[in-house]
Amino acid sequence: MVLQLIIASLAMGIVYGLVAMGFVLIWRAVGVVNFAQGDLLMAGAYVAFTLTELEGLPMPVALVACAAIMALVGVVFHFLTYWPLRKSWDMTVIISTIGASIALKEIATLVWGPAPLSVEPIIPGIARFASVSIEWQFLVTIVIAAALMGMIFYLLEKTYIGNILQATAQDQYAAELIGIPVVVATSMTFAISALITGIGGMLISPIFFVSTTMGGSPGLKAFAAVIIGGFGSVPGAIIGGIVVGVIDTFSGAYISSTYRDAIVFLCLILALLVRPQGIFGEKISDKV
Amino acid sequence: MTLQRKIFGLVLLLLLALALTLPFTVSNYMLRVCNMTMITYMCVVSLFVIFGMAGQISFAQAGFWGVGAYISAILTVKLHVSALVALLASGLGTAAFAAILGLALFRLHGHYFGFATIGVVMILNGLFQNWKPVTGGADGIANIPPFAIGSLEFASETSLFYLIAVAVIIISIATYVIYRSSLGRAFMAIRDNEIAAKCMGVNCYQTKVIAFAISGLYCGIAGSLFAFVSSYISATSFTFMQSSLYLVMLMLGGYHSLPGPIVGTALLMMLPEWFRFLQEYILLIYGLGVMLLMVVMPDGLIGGGKQALESYRNKRKGVANVAQK
Repeated sequence: MVLQLIIASLAMGIVYGLVAMGFVLIWRAVGVVNFAQGDLLMAGAYVAFTLTELEGLPMPVALVACAAIMALVGVVFHFLTYWPLRKSWDMTVIISTIGASIALKEIATLVWGPAPLSVEPIIPGIARFASVSIEWQFLVTIVIAAALMGMIFYLLEKTYIGNILQATAQDQYAAELIGIPVVVATSMTFAISALITGIGGMLISPIFFVSTTMGGSPGLKAFAAVIIGGFGSVPGAIIGGIVVGVIDTFSGAYISSTYRDAIVFLCLILALLVRPQGIFGEKISDKV
Repeated sequence: MTLQRKIFGLVLLLLLALALTLPFTVSNYMLRVCNMTMITYMCVVSLFVIFGMAGQISFAQAGFWGVGAYISAILTVKLHVSALVALLASGLGTAAFAAILGLALFRLHGHYFGFATIGVVMILNGLFQNWKPVTGGADGIANIPPFAIGSLEFASETSLFYLIAVAVIIISIATYVIYRSSLGRAFMAIRDNEIAAKCMGVNCYQTKVIAFAISGLYCGIAGSLFAFVSSYISATSFTFMQSSLYLVMLMLGGYHSLPGPIVGTALLMMLPEWFRFLQEYILLIYGLGVMLLMVVMPDGLIGGGKQALESYRNKRKGVANVAQK
């Protein structure tokens, strides 16, 4: 029982971690909280539904195609919400992402209809190890998400493209001076963010139903993960995601299944009051 | 300046006349929409106090709105308290709740306070949804009696319209008074620069808690009126999404002055009614419209309008100068 719960919470936590990473990448690159992140997760789930259930593509192909489509969505999202407002106050971009969140939900309703859809698991059935039985879907989720995280980490830390993205995130003006095309860098950041979030949506779509409002709760929980982990830290987002996944699953199982959302956010507030900068965050003092 | 004042007064009078005659000229349905608009307006004004004036972004407003609604509903349905007492209890209770919450959460600064309020609205929604003995759980609370003062009952849409209009006017005037008072100046000093405000002798922590309590008071009253207007409440109204809509309305109208919330709320609540013919595309256009408006007018409609007026004036001045030469 405990082992099953651990696997389940890891699977959920790692998806929260993916979405949280999406938050953090955008935050680091342009200093904006993206309130439509949960809706990008929803978009990923719908794209995955179309590719696997309607088009009948085999799983690996669908995974790559979903990633490509979501990257494209990210670029479009960037040019609609952030780019026209890059010179203005950050609140305007936040409002713009709230508008985008409404628009994305409506597009999904118009294209796929308001009824929730169900998706087959990537590998159906249950794996048995000795006395423990675990759904394959959870294991697949953990493996794919961890691999994706590893790839993004490698891309950001070890490659030339990663250097460009980090330079742009640190100082757009200076990056421009040394010849980095800032628009390419920021749109690429949005593309990566949408991609990992969308794959997160694809991975949890068999666990929940695919619906237009499915992004709300995971989106906000991923946001909680970002804060618990430390705002602006990629490892913090992953650790925070797993912490939130564990709190979520275990409080659902042992304390109360109806109050699990409330418990997660109670932990968020407690974490904020005890350590506002998060696990990996740095203390930033007030500036005049 | 005096001319501007006169024009402003005239517009205000016209609006008042329009408001007083509204129940005789529009359908019952539109009147209901107007009532909901005014209730939403109170919540947006509460956000104007805490965000527009004091500069603290809050997503807790829809939660406070819910607290006010549930206090009134529980008091009247389960404890049979008179409606007027319930309204006052909602306002003061929610203000006290906000103040206590503020005492804890204002240990956080800037964005982090905003993040914590997201937690607050999620927890409150969870409680409304699941605390069955008190809030009725997912079923909500039904059969809330109509608002009444003594034997005077506000059951029809028209009488409710006047009731809410009175509340709206009182809240607007109160906010204007706060805006002009030293308390309001302290709020704005904190918004513009907290450390500078501290140097000028403003007790930032206490002042922010007061701002939060005032915003709680407004939301509580709005929630109570919402309970009486709809006679049925459930957790689905009091969500994070609702809070972010308040923020959108405030930002679209303009967060610098009191007309901002009026314009923003009226626009976003009425537009879906006027554009009914778009049917299922309405929300999509709503979302895209919000994005577009932010691009065109980042300071909101009032701020953008002022800028346009100013540049027009400057142009005319320029033309006049050139003509003189």
